[in-house]
Amino acid sequence: MEKVLLANIDNPKSAEIGVYEASGGYDSLRKSLELAPDDIIETVKKANLRGRGGAGFPTGMKWMFASKDPKFPKYLVCNADEGEPGTFKDRPILEKNPHILIEGMAISGHALKAEFGYIYLRGEYPAAKGILEEAIRQAEAKGYIGDNMMGSGRNFKLAVHQGAGAYICGEETALIESLEGKKGHPRIKPPFPVNVGAWGMPTIVNNVETLSNMPFLMRVGPEAYAAIGSKECPGPKLFCVSGHVNKPGVYELPMGVTLREIIYDHCGGIKNGKTLKAVIPGGISTPVLPPDKIDCPMDFVNMPKHGSMLGSGAVIVMDESVCLVKVCLRALKFFEHESCGKCTPCRDGVSWLRQVLARIEGGEGRPGDIELLSEVAGNITGKTFCPLGDGAASVVLNFIKHFRDEFDMHIARKGCPIK
Amino acid sequence: MIKVTINGREVQLDKQVTILEAARRAGIKIPTLCHFEGLEMYGGCRLCLVEVEKMPRLQTSCTLMVTDGMVITTESEQIAAARRGMLEFILTNHPLDCPFCDKAGECELQDLVYLYGGTEGRFTEPKAKHPESNVDPILARNIERCISCTRCVRMCDGVVGASAISMINRGRHTVMEPFSGGKFDCEYCGNCLTVCPVGSILSRLYKETYRPWQVERTVRTVCGHCGVGCSYDLQVRDEAIKRVIPRIGEGLNRGLLCARGRFGYEFVGAKDRLKKPLVRRDGNLVETTWDEALGFIAAKLSEVIKTHGGEAVAGIASVRCTNEDNYVFQKFMRGVVGTNNIDSAARMGFSGAQAYLESLRGQGVSANVIAGLAKSDVIFVAGGDPTMVTPILGLEIRGAAKKGAKIISLDPAPGLEFFNPHKIVPSLFAEGAVLESLLCRAVSARGMTGELPHLEEAIRAAVSAECAGVAAQSGVPDAEIEKASATISGSQSPAFVIGPDIVQRADGNRNLFLLAALSYVTGGRIFLLSGKANEQGAVDMGCLPDTLPGGRPLAIDGFRKRHEDACGMSVPAREGLSLMEMFPAMADGRIKALYVIGENPAFNLPGGNSIKSALEKLDLLVVQDIFLTETAKMADIVLPALSWAEKDGTFTNLERRIQRVRRGVNREGREDWRILCDLAGRMGAAMEYASSEAVMSEIARVSPVHRDLHYSDIEAGAMQWPYHGEPLRGEASTVSLVTASARPTVGSGRFALLVDRPLFQSGTLTRRSKALLKLIPKATVKMNPLDAASLGISGGIVRVSSDAGSVELEAVIDSSVQMGAVKISNHFEGAGVFGLMTKPPVDPVTKAPAFEGCLVAVEPLKGDAKS
Repeated sequence: MEKVLLANIDNPKSAEIGVYEASGGYDSLRKSLELAPDDIIETVKKANLRGRGGAGFPTGMKWMFASKDPKFPKYLVCNADEGEPGTFKDRPILEKNPHILIEGMAISGHALKAEFGYIYLRGEYPAAKGILEEAIRQAEAKGYIGDNMMGSGRNFKLAVHQGAGAYICGEETALIESLEGKKGHPRIKPPFPVNVGAWGMPTIVNNVETLSNMPFLMRVGPEAYAAIGSKECPGPKLFCVSGHVNKPGVYELPMGVTLREIIYDHCGGIKNGKTLKAVIPGGISTPVLPPDKIDCPMDFVNMPKHGSMLGSGAVIVMDESVCLVKVCLRALKFFEHESCGKCTPCRDGVSWLRQVLARIEGGEGRPGDIELLSEVAGNITGKTFCPLGDGAASVVLNFIKHFRDEFDMHIARKGCPIK
Repeated sequence: MIKVTINGREVQLDKQVTILEAARRAGIKIPTLCHFEGLEMYGGCRLCLVEVEKMPRLQTSCTLMVTDGMVITTESEQIAAARRGMLEFILTNHPLDCPFCDKAGECELQDLVYLYGGTEGRFTEPKAKHPESNVDPILARNIERCISCTRCVRMCDGVVGASAISMINRGRHTVMEPFSGGKFDCEYCGNCLTVCPVGSILSRLYKETYRPWQVERTVRTVCGHCGVGCSYDLQVRDEAIKRVIPRIGEGLNRGLLCARGRFGYEFVGAKDRLKKPLVRRDGNLVETTWDEALGFIAAKLSEVIKTHGGEAVAGIASVRCTNEDNYVFQKFMRGVVGTNNIDSAARMGFSGAQAYLESLRGQGVSANVIAGLAKSDVIFVAGGDPTMVTPILGLEIRGAAKKGAKIISLDPAPGLEFFNPHKIVPSLFAEGAVLESLLCRAVSARGMTGELPHLEEAIRAAVSAECAGVAAQSGVPDAEIEKASATISGSQSPAFVIGPDIVQRADGNRNLFLLAALSYVTGGRIFLLSGKANEQGAVDMGCLPDTLPGGRPLAIDGFRKRHEDACGMSVPAREGLSLMEMFPAMADGRIKALYVIGENPAFNLPGGNSIKSALEKLDLLVVQDIFLTETAKMADIVLPALSWAEKDGTFTNLERRIQRVRRGVNREGREDWRILCDLAGRMGAAMEYASSEAVMSEIARVSPVHRDLHYSDIEAGAMQWPYHGEPLRGEASTVSLVTASARPTVGSGRFALLVDRPLFQSGTLTRRSKALLKLIPKATVKMNPLDAASLGISGGIVRVSSDAGSVELEAVIDSSVQMGAVKISNHFEGAGVFGLMTKPPVDPVTKAPAFEGCLVAVEPLKGDAKS
């Protein structure tokens, strides 16, 4: 497949506007500015573009909700707070191909009649900040964005806002709170950001990869776009693969490629000839899968049918040397640390899970601990304010579901049985 | 109409509300912890989870709005399990120290755990430790008990607008912390205390002194501090006030309180309360019996009246006593003594200002509902910081600002600083020029309606000058005034909040005229701030030298006759002396005897030694008070009275709402009115009432505006102006307007002395309330940083000297104090601002003393001044 999102990635000067322009960059924006905003939204709907942040919400639908709201100004926010553990798919776009995002945002801004765009950038991506700001400056200097972009009479101003290092700010309402200068706590929904978002105005929050699909989508049209990958959920998709594979990295593949193909065909299989033990297919919040479940098509529609989720497309591969109790504990440490503290089950329940897991992993597990974990996780599930706590509980439940023996052995042998 | 089904019952709702509210209306209780009526929605505790048909997950009823046809279940095995789970989670981080937690017995968490919780804990991991913080003098903070519901923060931020506390850290480490880290260092309204569901924020005033179930009495009453008149409950045990708690949603304060109201009650139980009558023997005040004391007064007073006539006697009524006390007092003075020499500290600005405003715009012009401020789109604040003088009224202004009202403040109002005020700060005492310029512009923008011809004539005469030219005299750029003028002109419902500072001027009447005119031209309402609980009541009861109860002018014979008939006593025809006129009359011997109830003129009135030397000349000085005040110390007879917490009666607040004061604490002693009735009997006049209610029955007969008013009416609900009757709504026939002579100029090391009116102190009562004393322990002089720097002062002790004397005070640098001025409060013995004032000029119209004439020198004391 022709690389779209990662085009030019091997060129050391890929972040420069000249390189981007040479491969047709900003042509889609020029073409889109001649279209009526609603026609672009219609195109996106027809292409069946789904949000790449993790939930897979149909982008065209989200845009339509925001577009129908009569309030102005509207804000377009790019969620570049790439914080899900295992995920680094947006980073190459932000650092190596920033103009595809800027062009995508300019097209989207036009479609949504938004004149202000923000890139909410992960605090731990300091290099990307300078690169993005330089790219914005270049695009403004060329008159591609800013006031009266490309002479169209439309305005679109873009600014980078650096996060302060909170995972929760990847949740769109917490992101908006943070953007407004407040502590990153999720908001009550409804109202949804498409109606009441930043500073009370309609706000569209889209992932980096989603917005970066726009120049290509507008160039080839909805039919050609929808022909790529899965029928139900088409388009190019970035997968970032880490762990015990021979060739870890970011791969641009069609939606619906199977997990097995990713691991064995693209990443060269398991390192050092060892055997596969477990895969987390879409970032730490998505349910872990055992080796016999990896023939699943990686897209938003099919993954749930196979017991997991596509999530952010962050594939974490673990071989036989890995202690899964330790992995589970490590994940819970992360969630405990990142819980914003707003709701009871996430604040206190996740911490409890972590403490019990720490005991088990440290050789102080007791009979009944696994039942306790399951019950505590059950009390969290479905009762939290936002998906963070649910994600944490689901990690524990799924690790127990697929790898209960390993937990039992930790308790019985008072320590890790692997080494 | 929205129809929903809750637990199988159909509920009809006229508008969209939350499921929680819909259930409440149907009488179904859903447990909550983070929800609190009036606070912003939160949805954090997850206790109020319910099942909603067609929704996959349990839903928080406090955040989800009902929609037509919704089917809701609030109790089921699944829901109970979820609630049990949430409580279990909360308790994993809770010390379970109920046996010694103050909140036990009224703790929402405790109650819910009894209702839903498990019987044993499954959490065996170590708990987080946070030692209780007691660094703050008023509030203790116990983070271990905190459940992170954020009710305190949402109260402080969203309702009070003080923004003094916040949740810091995240996850399990989330704690509530004041911005200073340790001390709260806030407005100390304690409303966070009201909303804390657990024992995390506690009042140190009563901490560990009793349990909630040991309260013997809970008595509904009205606060005795400022003129707002907030409702609250006194909780009493062993005849001592244990605490003051508001009733959520009730009273004009709707459950909010301020620092003075909530923590300023300790004076009631102060050890130095007067217990027995005192009589002066051989120069010393010694204890005596009531019989002897009253006999002595009767004899001595009769002698003065016989020798010099009733007009040789003057009386000072009390702005802290009830309407009943004040009514009986004026009746005693007029009917038994035979004098109209009667006034009160309301003369310090409030009463004269009100009478003058009423002469311009009609009776009751300032009787506007405080809650109505919330509906104003522009609020013009002049002459004081409402958040300090009348804190709950100040909150109403903040609330309006949050809803989008524009605030214009003439002179600094630090308490409104967070609310984007348009600040106009003219050069010292030049507010009049700003007001005149605003009036001039308003007249040209809006014209006049012809409704009040005399006022309009006076307005035309007053604004003949060119608008911009006048503004130049104020030192405020013309553009600033134009901007304010445009704001006021664009307003649909402006409010004009008038504080004491702009009245207590040599030309206070002119400021008032301009404000009255501005409000008239722009269709605005007037709010006259009142710093004492019953200033309005003292006025309404006729404790004025020229007015009978109910606002009837004494000068009109027909009114006087009608009054005499109604109360069965004769009233002298000649107008009496106003408060500030009494002291020269004492000094030159025209007044021989002074009867004071609940007031402390030797300290609370400007004039320093001139007041004291006038008092010394008296043949008889009688003081009824609860403390041995500076004035009482000079008296011939001192009678111990009861505080507001120990008697029944009524107060009338600044919006003219009459509210019941109820006896919470039983104490030996007599109400002021009862003492006066006893005395009247001994002087041969029959004044007998069975109770304060009986006094009110007479007031309801005598005063036209209180016609047919009974306690039962007040109990039944809000009793507000014009009560049952019609007000004597007149209009100006002649407009008195007197411009002041030239003012003394500041500079060359001389500063204008201004009155500081802080939030935490109001004088005699608050300085005997230990908690408030901890917040402002001693008198200070506040200075502008530039002035202080020019004198090399950065703190430390300085000497402030005027013609009347000097005091040594700690200097406080405060950028809200204007250049060229210093501010001292009038709260601490021997260091009151009024003591430094030599005979202040008096506004010829309002008869209020003017505080701008006093110049002081400030010098750092060697060795004490910090470099």
